[in-house]
Parts: sequence; C-alpha cells; structure tokens
Amino acid sequence: MRLKINRVIVEVFEGAEVRHALLMYLARRRMSMKLINQLTVCDVWGHEIDLDAPVSEHKEIRIKFKGKK
Amino acid sequence: MRKMVLSALAAMMALTVSAQERRELHILSTNDMHAAIECMPRLGFVADSLRALYPDLLILSAGDNRSGEPLNDMYEIPAYPMVSLMNIVGFHATTLGNHEFDSGQRGLAKLIDMSAFPTLCANVHPDSKWDMHVKPYQLFDCGGITVGVIGAVALSPLGIPESHPDNTVDIRFTEPLAAIQELRWLREKCDVVVLLSHLGFETDVQFSKELPWVDIIVGGHSHTQLKGGEMHNGLFITQNTNRLKRATHSTVIVEDGKVVKCMAENIEIRGPKNENKVIAELVRYFSENPAFHRVLAQVDTPFETYEELGCLMCDAYIAESKADVSFQNAGGVRYDKHATGGFTVSDVLRLDPFQNEAVELTLTGKELVDMMSKCYDNDNRVFPYVGGMTAEYTIDPETRALKGIVLLDKDGKKLSQKKNYKVVTNSYTVAISNSKRKDAGRGIGRITAQLVMDYLEHQGHVSYQGVKRLTEIKQ
Repeated sequence: MRLKINRVIVEVFEGAEVRHALLMYLARRRMSMKLINQLTVCDVWGHEIDLDAPVSEHKEIRIKFKGKK
Repeated sequence: MRKMVLSALAAMMALTVSAQERRELHILSTNDMHAAIECMPRLGFVADSLRALYPDLLILSAGDNRSGEPLNDMYEIPAYPMVSLMNIVGFHATTLGNHEFDSGQRGLAKLIDMSAFPTLCANVHPDSKWDMHVKPYQLFDCGGITVGVIGAVALSPLGIPESHPDNTVDIRFTEPLAAIQELRWLREKCDVVVLLSHLGFETDVQFSKELPWVDIIVGGHSHTQLKGGEMHNGLFITQNTNRLKRATHSTVIVEDGKVVKCMAENIEIRGPKNENKVIAELVRYFSENPAFHRVLAQVDTPFETYEELGCLMCDAYIAESKADVSFQNAGGVRYDKHATGGFTVSDVLRLDPFQNEAVELTLTGKELVDMMSKCYDNDNRVFPYVGGMTAEYTIDPETRALKGIVLLDKDGKKLSQKKNYKVVTNSYTVAISNSKRKDAGRGIGRITAQLVMDYLEHQGHVSYQGVKRLTEIKQ
C-alpha cells in the first residue's frame, strides 16, 4: 500500500495508520521519531486528519510543522 | 371591507400553511468514536441540550464505535461499555465500521442485540447462523419528517472490511455503491434520505456524483475534520476526526417535502466540563472494572529483566500467529520486573500499552537482518528482543553503531539469507524499520497486547527467569 507524503512515496503495510506512514517518512529522512507530535497532517483537500486515520483512505497527505504557515 | 378582511385572512392562512410546510430536521452525528468512553458524559450532555431545543433530534453514528480503549475492548463482553453508553445517550442508529468486526461474528451479533438502536449496513449480509441483525436501512419519523437512513461500510481490496479475516467468515459483502443504489426507491417514501457512511471522505465525494437522490452523507472512516459540512455535487457531507474530539450538529431544512438547505456546525466534545452525570457515573463504573484484575497465568519464577519480558512477548507473537520468528522493539517493553504470582490483564496493558497492531511479514533471512538493524537505529540504539531465534550482534563501543548481526535458529544454526520466514512484530516496529524488503506486511487485525493475553491464558504457567537470547559481541 503506497501513500504520498508531500513529495515522498512511502510503502506501508496493509492496515497501517497515518502514524505508521509518518514514522516511515521520518525514518527515511533520518529525522527523530519524536517529531511526529509536531506535525499537522492534512488530506489533499486541506482537511485536518489525525494520526489514527487508516492509510487506505488516503492516497496523498500533506504535512507541515505545527505553527508553520 | 368584508372582501378585504376575507382576503387578509386568506393571505394569513396561506402564510401559515407555508410556515407549516417549512420544517427542520436536526441531526447530532459522531464517527470513529473508537471507544473514547471518557467523552461520553460530555456527548450525553450535548445530546440532552440539543434534545431540549429539538425534541425530534436524530442521533447517528457513522461506525467504528469500538477499538481504541482497553476499558471497552477488553471488557468481559468486549465493547459492551460503548453500547451501554450509546443506549443512554439515545443514539437512533449506527452503521458498521470495519472495527465493529473486531468483536468477531458472535461478539458483534451479541452487541447488536444489546443495542437499543438498529445497526444499518446495506452491503453486509451475514449468514443466518450468526443471528446478526443488520438492516440495510431504517425509516424514522422525526416530528412529521420521514427520514430514511441507509448504512454502508468500506471494503478493502480483499473484499472485506479491514479487520481480521477470521472475523468476516460467512458474512457476504457487496460493493457499497451498488448496495446503496438498490435502495433508491426510498426517495419516494422519505422527505430526507441520509447515507450513514463508513466509506471515507474521498469515497463519499466520489459517490456524491452517483447519488443525487440522497440528501446528506454522515460520513466516517477517514477521520477527516470538516468545518461543519461541505457540499459536493449537490450532496451535503459531514465528518469529524476520531475519538470524539468533536460531534456535528446538522440542520436540514425541508420545504414541501423537499430538502432546500443543509447546514452544520462542529461541537467540541473534549474539553468543556458540562456532562451528563448519570453517564459519568457509568463511565466510572466501567473504569473500575474488576475484569482488569483477572489472572491470565501464574508466574512461577520472577521476571527480572526487560529481555525476559521481551522474550515472553515475542513467544506470544509466534504462538498466537503461528509465525517462524518474531521480534519486538526494546522501547515497547515498558517494565522489567514482575513478581511470582498472578499475571493479570492490567499487567499486560502496562507492559504493552500502545495498542499496536501485530503485523505479519514474509522476509528472507537477509531482509530480517536489515529490518532489525534499522529497528536498532531508530529505537534509541537498543537491540530488539527476539522469539524463535537468538541473536549475536556487534556494536562499535565508541559510536554505538551496529556492526553486524547473526541470527541463529533454535538449534543454533544460522538463519538462511535466502530462505523465507514468516515474521511477526508490532506495527510501530514495522514503521520505524525502513529497510528494503519485498513484502510491506499486513496487519493481522489483533493488537499485540491481545496476543500476549491469549498466550498467557493458553500457557497457564510461565517461567522466564534467566532466559537470554541476545548476545552482544565485544569488538
């Protein structure tokens, strides 16, 4: 199952939640796992989604650090 | 003069009729509550307040009422607390979310029977042997407005909802859109048609093109936070993020039997203090559940290290999922001591509190080594615990970088680099172990804490004193 996070495609296990995809994204970018709590996650429409959301319902998400415009 | 009075009266009567024909339907909706029982007293208060204003308030849930809180999910009758609380809040209907199937067929049938509201899902057809009372739709009379509510749940590429496949055996699932379209005739019978959807926001938007005869989609599944609701292709869609952060109050205006306007607002559930005191007391009762002190197994010798408890967890993964080998990130083992005596449900939930799902992967020996190496790098450079094998690993004493791993089977032979092994670990470990592998893995629909509980119950007695499967080779 693939998910595009900003411009990066990550492959996650079936049944994964958005948090797992973000952890993979952070690991791939060699960033601290703790940063996951500082991210705002939105779908392609710009709606906020939470970390427990199922990846299967999102083909693409956008992330940014909280407070950053 | 008489003519004037008569015409004025006629005009007033016309106005009255017109006013009578303009009616409002009020809906309070939730989705993906995931057993946030701590929020139910506040939701009860919101429902009571709205009901005082609008006696014909319709209260709906778009599914995934359970899974996410051990107090609920591991109750003696799993997920009964949420059903009980929803009964008191006064829910009129729920659809099935994929997580409702986590109860298993018999568990779900029992919960539906205990619900004071119907379970609606048009694309789910349980075999009669389950005695599972799922209806495709239900009509409600809300102060003279006839409301038809249809339910639907999303299916994975396997054609079943995302839950453990065992939980969906002998239940037939059909494509949601086709199942909904079969109920098109409801348009003629109803003033308002509501689709209670556990399909996800994107699917709701896609379906909106095909469902001009539906008035409003009360959505769930993708945990999408909308600002009230949105109009897509003439169809009004609502949804909130999960665990009852917010609920939605929708107002549907009906004139001459037709919906002319939909509006919605979010209501904050987490935070504000007003709550329904009866529900609060019931939540307190469920929170002091004696079932959490239930002894699963006797500990014959004390656990004295993280590794001993990590080995217990890894053995549970293998035994309960029939894997060849398993591993567990060290940071996921939350205490290192357990005295002799009873190992309780509460002890397991303290040991493994993260609600991580168990994930199964088919990996070659080389892929397994690579994955464990990445797990080490991203889990504070602590080597993961293992089951079904032992591990020898070399660490650079200065940089703490991992220099090499040798995995040995139970007979002390090296694991083959090329052979495939069925590996089970937890979802967090899979996510942080970003190695190259052909199989991305699949969740088995059970949390790892549940596997540990099942294992302890099956074992009856456990003794791990002195068990050591990791050897650090000094350079």
